[in-house]
Amino acid sequence: MAIDYRNKRFLVIDDQPMARESLRAIAQTAGAFTVDFAPGYQDAIFKIRNNCPDIILCDYVLGEGRSGQQLLEELRRFNMLPDETIFMMVTGEQSYEQVVAAVELVPDDYIIKPFSPDKLMLRLERVAAKKDFFAEFYREKRKQEYEKALAILAARKDSDEGRAYRFESLRQEAEVHLAAGNAEKAEVAYRGILEKYEFPWARAGVAKSLHQQNRLSEAREEIEKVVAAAPNYFDASDVKANICMAQGEHEEAQKVLDAAAKKTPRNYLRKRLLAEAAELNGDTETARAAMADVVANDTMPGAVSTEDQLSLARTQVGANDLISAEKVLLLMREAEVMNMELAHQASYLALLAVASPEKGKKRFAGLRPALLASPLPSISRVDILRAALAVDDRELADGQARELMSGEDAKKVFGTVRKLYALQGRENDFREIQRQVALQRIHHDEAPTGS
Amino acid sequence: MHRLLDVLASGVHDTKNQLFYAESQIAEAEAKHGLDLSEARYAIETAAARLSRTLTAYHLLRNDAQLAVAPVVVADLCDEVVLDQRKHLAHAGIELVLACGVRDEWPLDRDLITDVLNNAVQNAGRHARSRVRLSAWNEDDTLFFRVEDDGPGYADPEHGRSTGLIVAERVASLHERRGRYGSMHLGNGGDLGNSAGDELGGAVFELRLP
Repeated sequence: MAIDYRNKRFLVIDDQPMARESLRAIAQTAGAFTVDFAPGYQDAIFKIRNNCPDIILCDYVLGEGRSGQQLLEELRRFNMLPDETIFMMVTGEQSYEQVVAAVELVPDDYIIKPFSPDKLMLRLERVAAKKDFFAEFYREKRKQEYEKALAILAARKDSDEGRAYRFESLRQEAEVHLAAGNAEKAEVAYRGILEKYEFPWARAGVAKSLHQQNRLSEAREEIEKVVAAAPNYFDASDVKANICMAQGEHEEAQKVLDAAAKKTPRNYLRKRLLAEAAELNGDTETARAAMADVVANDTMPGAVSTEDQLSLARTQVGANDLISAEKVLLLMREAEVMNMELAHQASYLALLAVASPEKGKKRFAGLRPALLASPLPSISRVDILRAALAVDDRELADGQARELMSGEDAKKVFGTVRKLYALQGRENDFREIQRQVALQRIHHDEAPTGS
Repeated sequence: MHRLLDVLASGVHDTKNQLFYAESQIAEAEAKHGLDLSEARYAIETAAARLSRTLTAYHLLRNDAQLAVAPVVVADLCDEVVLDQRKHLAHAGIELVLACGVRDEWPLDRDLITDVLNNAVQNAGRHARSRVRLSAWNEDDTLFFRVEDDGPGYADPEHGRSTGLIVAERVASLHERRGRYGSMHLGNGGDLGNSAGDELGGAVFELRLP
């Protein structure tokens, strides 16, 4: 497939003027008419936001501690790269290959300096052909039309053209199964790939599939293999941490995230996960610092969500820094609070009731009927539980505890819930709730099915 | 020890950036003035590849080299070797023939295998009379790459191996799949059995990857 480079807009991203000049010369020799420049990370984001180029040539080293990989991850995270845009990483280091082999989000391709215009064209044309092959599939996947996406893939993967994309097709199939919540099918697909080759991402995929099936110890076993074999595959650390948290092993979760976050200090999604693990682990200081870093430095517009503000306040409440928590909560506008979904509103009012009883207690009480009656995510239930214990609303507190202990996240939140009861000197009451939940489960298991 | 390696790697990195600048300027001049300076560009690319290979050899000899294995379209890899070498060989009156019978992907380290094959083709080009052939095919669970020439052949394939061959041998053996390992083989004429085409009669370099 010959690309007409005269109609393509190139963007060259590099902090070194000489390197920018080299890339411009090569691109123009290859036929490019428009070549724009960005000397760094922020500038690149600004340009891509305003007018997305067709072809991005991005150096791996961007200066100021930023890398092309971070840029790529941010662009993908905020959906700023259309499917057709080609993102080509440029690097002088042979070892970059190992970076690519160990990340979840890969560029369309990478090319090692020095290279000729002919080599660049060859690579770009291959990428374009591959994008073309998967174009329809990506469209459906993006729309979350998973059945349609799989049908397109099934129809095309065994075609003559599809032979060159066999592994990518298998990987996409597995990912779609996982995204669609078909964890068993995803597991089968990933294991099929592993029969051909021991790719770390495929092994991590098996672990994710098992986690989704709540087969936690098997999931843990699989992800430990990946972490041992590919220590720089940080996405595997995230998978492992999530599994550890589900198992209630918060110390291990925090340990693995701490190590990964040190090596990827500007990965704010990982920082959020670290805050969660530290919070569960009772390391309130680390949790608070990580969330403060996220809220202050995850600078892309819209990056810091309501959930993040609530998380920050939660870590501050956890660290008993009630003044800061109150400040964060009151900075959120009233209209914003009114428009929140119930789960967020519940967390907001619960945290406010703890941080500032005179401002929050009454409003929290006003929400009580809804809280007693509604299904809520575990994180909100823990917030409500904390506030209810603080205002000595035993019925509300014990109700949340029962829901939490009989739910899927029981192992994850067990330590936190027990601690909250202990703080009120109510360990025995919590033990009684546990006993009731266990009995109920036995009755449930013994009850005839199909009624 | 790691400090030393960092110093070396960063020196190589900077040098390659400089070489890239030189190549880009030459390419631009070629386009602007309708010149063919491909031999100058070839020398630059070969120098850069040589630097990388030296660093790779250092890692291999220290036994801390790690592969980055990803699925690679074998035909694409062969095409790149041809793109890198064909024009230069043509300048010396040698034809580079490609016979790639693999249309599928294969899990391998793209950059290292490309470099190993580039090096093998360069070696073959130095001894060939008129032809070098790069072929690729697969039998059962093994991928074969072969580079042959029509020169006098290796005097003694088992002795006097260059850095390039040492790298090739180690890179091949690092490729592992379900307990099977890659290997490198040298021979003359029909020593290694038949490949995809007629024998060229000279030296034969072969990589077998699981």
